[in-house]
Amino acid sequence: MKRFLETGNFAITEGAILAGCRFFCGYPITPATELAEAMSFRLPQEGGVYLQAEDECAAMHMCIGASMGGMKAMTATSGPGFILYADPYGWALGCEMPMVVLNSGRVGPVSGITGAPGQGEFYLTRYPTQGGNYEAVTLAPNSAQEAMSMVVEAFYLSERLRMPVTVLADQLITDGFEDISVPENEDEIKEMGFKVWPRKSHTGPDFYPFTDELDVPPVQMGNNAGGLCSDWTPTVEGFDVEEVEAHHQHAYRLIYKVRNHRDLFNHLYDEKFMDDDPDLVVVSYGTPSRVVNTAVDRARAQGLKVGALRLINLWPFPDEHFSRSTKYLAVELNWDGELVREVQRAVPKDSTVNFLGTCGDLPTIPDLLETFEKILKNQPLERKGWILEAW
Amino acid sequence: MQYSSSALVDKYLRTRKIPSTACSGCGLGINHKIVIQAISELGLEVADIVWGTSIGCAGRQTFATWKGDGFAGTHGRAYAIARGLRIALPREKKIILTVGDGDAFGIGLMHLIHAARSNADMTVIVNDNLGYQSTGGQFGFTTPQGAKTDSSPYGMFEHNLMSEGMDVMHILVGAGATFLARHVAMDGPRAVESVKKAILNTGFSLVHMPFPCPTNFASRELGSRNQVNIYRWIRDQAAPLGEEKENTVWATGVWHDKSNSRPEFSEHVWNSVDKIRRTGSL
Repeated sequence: MKRFLETGNFAITEGAILAGCRFFCGYPITPATELAEAMSFRLPQEGGVYLQAEDECAAMHMCIGASMGGMKAMTATSGPGFILYADPYGWALGCEMPMVVLNSGRVGPVSGITGAPGQGEFYLTRYPTQGGNYEAVTLAPNSAQEAMSMVVEAFYLSERLRMPVTVLADQLITDGFEDISVPENEDEIKEMGFKVWPRKSHTGPDFYPFTDELDVPPVQMGNNAGGLCSDWTPTVEGFDVEEVEAHHQHAYRLIYKVRNHRDLFNHLYDEKFMDDDPDLVVVSYGTPSRVVNTAVDRARAQGLKVGALRLINLWPFPDEHFSRSTKYLAVELNWDGELVREVQRAVPKDSTVNFLGTCGDLPTIPDLLETFEKILKNQPLERKGWILEAW
Repeated sequence: MQYSSSALVDKYLRTRKIPSTACSGCGLGINHKIVIQAISELGLEVADIVWGTSIGCAGRQTFATWKGDGFAGTHGRAYAIARGLRIALPREKKIILTVGDGDAFGIGLMHLIHAARSNADMTVIVNDNLGYQSTGGQFGFTTPQGAKTDSSPYGMFEHNLMSEGMDVMHILVGAGATFLARHVAMDGPRAVESVKKAILNTGFSLVHMPFPCPTNFASRELGSRNQVNIYRWIRDQAAPLGEEKENTVWATGVWHDKSNSRPEFSEHVWNSVDKIRRTGSL
């Protein structure tokens, strides 16, 4: 292992290279710019290509093109750029083209605060494009080291599921400096639990089966298999048709190749003090989960029966973790409450669900402890200054 | 050399898609034939070409017609997809894109300009039916000035990309395209020769090919869906470059030929990567 004091952007770059990524196309945007910079430095050293596009829409389309030619590809951006992926994201989903998208959240909507962390794209990563009729996959690391792991995991999932996968980070993860270990050989790669899945060769010409099966090689251009892919409703062979039944078959595959393979995601969560039936479960993902962990430790020391559930796999949403009838608190980096809505949907009807949101800055441990106490005493939550939103 | 359509279809096209579902009298098939004829005359095989398309009449009707590998991009983005694909493809593979005027000169113009800037090896055939015809017939950026369409009922009064000296061809020359030609569908062998040159350029080539749309454009502008009228209307307003008349809208021929004059995009990128890898610098 080689150790570095480096940013999440550095860790993500090394993770992508370990996963076999040899094509990166991006567009400068805070706080994902340093990732593009790191890729421009590192990829040529590994025999890979870094390109800078005219906009994010072109960047992801160029990644799709490279992926369609058989290369593992990645792009990275922040919220205002992620919205420009709507177009190519849909194409990649429909054409089942594997690639990895990194979104480092800042404070929105629109340009908002550029250099501060936010979590305003929880639902946007579930619905990254129009039209519905698909499932999306989103992984949310909470440290630079885990960002490296999750990028490797995202490449693995994208190849097996034949679809784009989003890694949802935030400004603190991508820009923050942390202790990072990079494996240097096969044994160390295994030791870190990295699964590297090679691109499978498409021998075509068929586009896909109308099933939920995994490990179907993506259509490839340039290998003379006669492969076809388009933005229209495809037949098994890839021809374009305007038929409802054919589109239902297509949509079935896009939905159920993810829904029927929950085993791929089951390990992607983290929990603390969840074994002794906690009176309050604090749910979070990404950077806020680190503050939550500390606050939950303190609460336990004070005798409060609080547990922490950290989601790493956000989509498909892990409903299985929400079977307890108890009190829940969603802690997020936004003031509108996004994750909390999904928690409300997933929990048993007799549970209560509260929300605590900050944006641009992390919640403080005293604020969290005060909130835990209020919830456990059935007291109402309220906004605090212009910093914290709670209900 | 194969000249009969059936022989060309047998060799290069998927019979499932030919004949296409284009409207009766549509001129797109003539343009399509010109491109296939050029490919045949160059002696290229199915495996030599990856065929990309866009949306709209031109994209939809030509998608999956090529017997080999084929893709259709989203609106206006085929050029960005093709640039990424260009990096991944073996050097000897050709990319041909058959797209529409709205796709190339409207929604995709920025991506088209960057494909030209980088001199990415691709041949873009812009099949121009003089507006947005698959959505029912609205004006586009090469719709002749004054033409009546569903969205210009009083005549198209905006400046287009072919009027008053601001031709889209000049934009593309400025952007760095290395081969540019314009032909109407009736140009026959002259158009075939230009497409051949376009394909032979290892770099960014574009051939702009207006063709007749009897169903929408002609019915609004000429008040008739009679194919003969729109064919004559286009033919009469086209003339070879240097022989333009007062009513010439489309000056046909090779507009710009700097074929193989500067490094091709993917070759340049891979050579640079190779040098950095070997020496640590450029």
